[in-house]
Amino acid sequence: MKVHYKPKRNLLETIFQVEILQGMALTLRKLFSPAITRQYPQEKPPMFPGFRGQHALVRDSLTRDSKCVACMRCATVCPSRCIQISYDEDETHKRIINKYTIEVLRCVFCGYCVEVCPVGAITMTELFEYATYDRDTVFFDKEALLDNWDAFIAKTGKDPAYVNPLMRPRGIFESSLPAAKRLKVPEDWTIEGQYVGPKARPSMVGLPTPHTEKANG
Amino acid sequence: MWFWANVTGSFLEEDHSFNLDEVSVPEIMQILTLILQIAILLVIVLLHVAYATYFERKIIGHMQVRMGPMLVGYHGLLQPIADGIKSFFKEDVVPAQADKPLFLFAPVICLVTMLTSLAVIPFAKGWVLADINIGLLFIFAMSSLASYGVILAGWASNSKYTFLGGMRSMAQVISYEIPLGLSLVGVMMLSGSLNLTAIVNSQGNSFSSMYLFPQIIGFFVFFLAMLAETNRVPFDLPEAETELVSGYITEYSGMRYALFFMAEYIGMMVMASIGTTCFLGGWNGPFEVPFFPPLWFILKVYGFIFFFIWIRATLPRYRYDQLMALGWKLLIPLALLNIFLTGLFKILVH
Repeated sequence: MKVHYKPKRNLLETIFQVEILQGMALTLRKLFSPAITRQYPQEKPPMFPGFRGQHALVRDSLTRDSKCVACMRCATVCPSRCIQISYDEDETHKRIINKYTIEVLRCVFCGYCVEVCPVGAITMTELFEYATYDRDTVFFDKEALLDNWDAFIAKTGKDPAYVNPLMRPRGIFESSLPAAKRLKVPEDWTIEGQYVGPKARPSMVGLPTPHTEKANG
Repeated sequence: MWFWANVTGSFLEEDHSFNLDEVSVPEIMQILTLILQIAILLVIVLLHVAYATYFERKIIGHMQVRMGPMLVGYHGLLQPIADGIKSFFKEDVVPAQADKPLFLFAPVICLVTMLTSLAVIPFAKGWVLADINIGLLFIFAMSSLASYGVILAGWASNSKYTFLGGMRSMAQVISYEIPLGLSLVGVMMLSGSLNLTAIVNSQGNSFSSMYLFPQIIGFFVFFLAMLAETNRVPFDLPEAETELVSGYITEYSGMRYALFFMAEYIGMMVMASIGTTCFLGGWNGPFEVPFFPPLWFILKVYGFIFFFIWIRATLPRYRYDQLMALGWKLLIPLALLNIFLTGLFKILVH
């Protein structure tokens, strides 16, 4: 690579300090351009799809309770171990949640719990202004998480059946996802390791399939 | 406001050796009027200082595509008052190892010398507190004394950052006082006086007769030396915040910090006033303003201050050796050349 230096100043440019004058002209021009400041508390930032804000447990409209089936995937995948779940089994071996807590002060907001949830029970809402002066208010138990969901629906006016379709586990084709996760996403949405569209197959994206792997030994 | 000139003029001309038995009632009245005038001037100047900080924050903000203060009052208009009240009520911290009397006294030196310079500045025809014949010299003396306060502040704080800031200020003032004085010698030669009112009067009333045009080199030198004298960017080495925390005012807090701040802004205004009177024709303008004669003067001073702020928003700080090189190798020879050319011009014309 060839380095291009600025041409050396000639005597006239040195005497009149042309570069300083150029800089002054720039700042004067910017004086009359509109400011790009966002006056935050009065003026909220725009929300982008896939925003990872306050945690919530989706309230099912039929049972008025959480959709959670206590599969423990979120607690397992959580890198900061901030989700604690305990459950009992009834006589049909259905799991009944005793405790579901999220310690937000330990959470790193990676969103893996939302991606991995097979029933779309846990979500991350678009609320982010919940700073407090004590730890208890940001230690969410199950009721608090359900209330978070109600507050989010009340505040944003979203459909109560809302599930963010962009929160899907990576590296899994849509056809292999559980039913609750097979939601329509924009066709142009691409993230590394995400295969969009119900028709996507490993062979179509150039990945080894069970057949080719067997053939290669 | 005709009495400004009358009172001060007569006060200075008379022989006023104060013998308490002989002080007559008119003399006491004169002194009281003078004190009242000083108080009015002080209040007006301090308000201007407060709003100069607002002006600066807004201009720099918009030049950096920000908004500046917006929250206190409409578009932050009450911000300077809030700042003043806050700094007035803050704790005045004195470091345990500091030289206490000097530490407490240094900001006062800074502010008092700067305020004293205001006495000789003619704001309009006759609007001057002390119309003395050595006005320019007086201002130079006072601005040198102000840097004495800076040096003492740096020394008395007993901290390495403040000490470095004070040392830099000392070296900078010594280097730039010389071109500042020399750059105005041309003006003195043309007007034949050190009295600021006389300098304004000798420039006449028209645009083309301003000393800016015959003294363009002098004005250039004066402008750079003025930036350096008031410790403004790009010569703000005494309080270089990227290197020295905040230089000589690192250890100050509360009201004493605010005193340094006021001194800096009054220094800016005094230097801008000298520039206005010596190069831009003082209070003279395109037409006479009825009721408020200092209008043109104030506009010109604010033009200067806008330049100060504009430069601050644009330029980075000079390195220390560059500062010295600019002062000694460029400005002093240029100022001497200007004196030579002015003298040559005067000889050839007459």
